[in-house]
Formats: sequence, structure tokens, C-alpha cells
Amino acid sequence: MVLPKFQYHEPKNLGEACEIIAGLKENARPLAGGTDLLVNMKKGSISPKHVISLSKLEELKVLGIKNKHLNIGSCVTAAELAESTIVQHDFGALCAGAGNLGSPLIRNLATIGGNLISARPAADLPPSLMAYGGKAVLVKKGGQRSVDLKAFFKGLGETVAEPDEILSHIHLDMPPSYSGGGYMKLGKRNALEISIVNVAAFIALDSPDGAIRDVRIVLGSVGPVPLRAENAEKTLKGEVPGPSLFIKAGEAASRECKPIDDFRGSAWYRREMVAELTRRALTMAFIEAKARELRRWK
Amino acid sequence: MKKTLICLKVNNKEYEVAVEPNKTLADLIRYDLGLTGTKKGCDMGECGSCTVILDGKPVNSCLVLALQAADREIQTVEGLESEEGLHPLQEAFVEHGAIQCGFCTSGMLLSAKDLLEKKPNPDEAEIRRAISGNLCRCTGYQKIVEAIGSAGERMTEKGGKS
Repeated sequence: MVLPKFQYHEPKNLGEACEIIAGLKENARPLAGGTDLLVNMKKGSISPKHVISLSKLEELKVLGIKNKHLNIGSCVTAAELAESTIVQHDFGALCAGAGNLGSPLIRNLATIGGNLISARPAADLPPSLMAYGGKAVLVKKGGQRSVDLKAFFKGLGETVAEPDEILSHIHLDMPPSYSGGGYMKLGKRNALEISIVNVAAFIALDSPDGAIRDVRIVLGSVGPVPLRAENAEKTLKGEVPGPSLFIKAGEAASRECKPIDDFRGSAWYRREMVAELTRRALTMAFIEAKARELRRWK
Repeated sequence: MKKTLICLKVNNKEYEVAVEPNKTLADLIRYDLGLTGTKKGCDMGECGSCTVILDGKPVNSCLVLALQAADREIQTVEGLESEEGLHPLQEAFVEHGAIQCGFCTSGMLLSAKDLLEKKPNPDEAEIRRAISGNLCRCTGYQKIVEAIGSAGERMTEKGGKS
């Protein structure tokens, strides 16, 4: 398969990249890992006249704690996320999503920014990033803005990012004490799989044995954009966590999603799986909350 | 389309090539450098037959632009053999009959090499996960997995030579 013709740009820093894209807008596409963009270009579904490689922008490859939040450059790869100690210890749901994305070869190329901008309904990173209350930083010539990931996705393959904006960083608040996350992905095989259903959950407790203070549940593959299961969240808030409560929350999540029938699974099957995967993701989040506390005292 | 002159190091040899923007690294390696050990199967990042090691990490070379490989180091299957002969992984693949049609072999070898460098004594699950981006349509996975395990053991005995 031959890539369509395009002009290649390789800016040396973010300022230069913004300058180039400001002049080209719709005719240009930023290239990060290439695992979606180049495939779509080969298939002929998009053919930008200009491709702006972000590979020389070192500022987009940072991964570290800054002002009490985790600052992730948009060009950090899925493999780097899955191997990062901070992500493994404090953002278990993100670690699981990144470690399950594509294949080992894809994970060495695919980036967190690309996974968000591609806005595929079954993408592995958006549910976890939304469950942690993440924010995306969009930069353009002469300005930048921060967008809550809850309001980032507009539809299938569509985000709020304007043609002259570059997704530069993702910010996640450091999870408070007694909190944890969980991610569950259901597919038919273990690699190179597009989820039938994927669910991320985050819970924060008042105290080690206390009630649920804060909770976010995000469902993937059941609509054009990842869905916050707000009714399920309501059944959990203020309650003491436990197996029967998590079952109730799973059932609530199942009722509030509207999946479609396709060759990967029927709508009925997806709803059933939302209930079970939500229960499991919440259980994982609860276990992680306990594990993080233990690590803190070690 | 305007060609750009790039330098890159493949299997420890420096090359200078003029490439078009829409050329992939897989095509550069096969057609410009003539290193046809790297295969092209799906050309979509799903089969892993185009696997090369780029700056120490195995990737699908069909999803990397040739221009992005400028000033970087690449290892292909041709770079596995040394003056001492075949790489222990290659020896183990031959001995275990882990090659049927051979199309997936170069990718399998490079994914396995990356695994053994990180983890000299992997268990079966780790081996299967490491080659999960490389498809073998002859379905000879069992022998491939056994070969990688035995190469790991052999390399550990030899003192971690890779």
C-alpha cells in the first residue's frame, strides 16, 4: 500500500510547530506515533497535504509530577506509560489501559496524544484518563487552553481540538489518599484487539474503611464517545464500598448505556458485560486504594 | 515530490539515502537498502512481519516514515548474525523447527531478542505476550515459544551474550 503524497515538516520545538500549523490549518495533520494516522492515510480515508512530525519536540515527551499533578507529554508512548513507576503505583487504571493497547510493537510507537485525538470509541486510554479526571492542554500560536477530558470528545473521530491546535500535554491530579482506579477490557483475543466493552473506574474513600467520597465510572465502546455512568456513580456516593454495592452500581451502569449491535457483539451482550465489567473495575479500584495505602506506610 | 537526503545507521553500517516523504521505513529497508529479510505483510501494523529494532525498541517499520528514521539506529534480522555465527535465537529456531514458511521469522526473532534483553529467563506467558504483535499464519507458535525459551537458557549459560 502506498501512502498518498504530502509535504513533510519537522519542527524543532512546539512554538515552531504551532507557527507551521497556524498557516496550514485543515491541510495539515500532526504526526505523533503514526499508528492511526499512517494507517488511515494508507487506506485513503484521509490525505493531508502537509504532515507535521512531532518527533523532535522533546517538551512533548515529558512524564513526571509537576505542581501536584502528573504531567504527561502528548508524545509519551503507551509502552512508556505502562513501564512508568508513577503510573504503575498511582494510576493503575491508566497502566492497565496502556499495557493492553495494540501489541508490544504498536505500544512502542502509539502515543497518549494520538489515542485521544483519534477519538475511537473503543480506544484504551480515554476511559482511564477520564476516570482520573484528566485535562488536555491544547496549544496554538499565541495561546493555549485546558479542556476537561469529559468535554473533549465530540463524536466518532471528533474532538474539540481546532485544526490549528496541537494537543501538548495531559494533566492528571495526583490521586488523594484512600483512592484507586481499575480498568477492564473485554475482547476476543489478548493482543491487537478492539474492545467489545471497556470500563474504567476511580473511587476515593473518606478513610481506609470509610464511605465513598468521590467516584467516576467511564464506559467505552458503548457509544460514539466514552460515557460517564453518572447514575451508577450516584448509587455509590456516600455508601460504604462492598461486593453487593458494586453489583448494584454495575446494573445501574448497564441501564444507562445505549450500545449498538455490530459484528463484535450485540447491544444486549454489551449491556450485560457493562454490568459485570463495571463491578470488576470497581473491585479493582477498591483493591488498588488499599494497596496504595499500604505502600505509603511501608 | 522533493526528496530529502538522510543518514541512518542500519546494522552498524552508515547509509546516506535520498527519500520521498511518503516512503515508509519498511520500503526504505527493502527497496533502497536491499535488506529483504524484513518482510511486508499487512502494511497496517497488525502482522509484525516488518518488525525492526529502532533505537533499541521493536516497532512495525510499515508505520514509521523513512524520514523519521533520520540519524537513528536500526537493527534488522540481517544484523543478528555475528562473526561467531548465527545468533543463539536463530540457532534455537533452527533446532526446534520453529520455522515453517519463514515469513514471520525475522519479526519473531527481533521481538524475542528484545524480550531476552529485558528478561533473560522469561516464562511461557511472558514469551507469548512479547510475540503477541507477530502473527504466524502457519500457526507454528508452540515451537517458536519453545525455541525462544531455550535460547534464553542458552544465552544465560553463555553469560548473557546477545
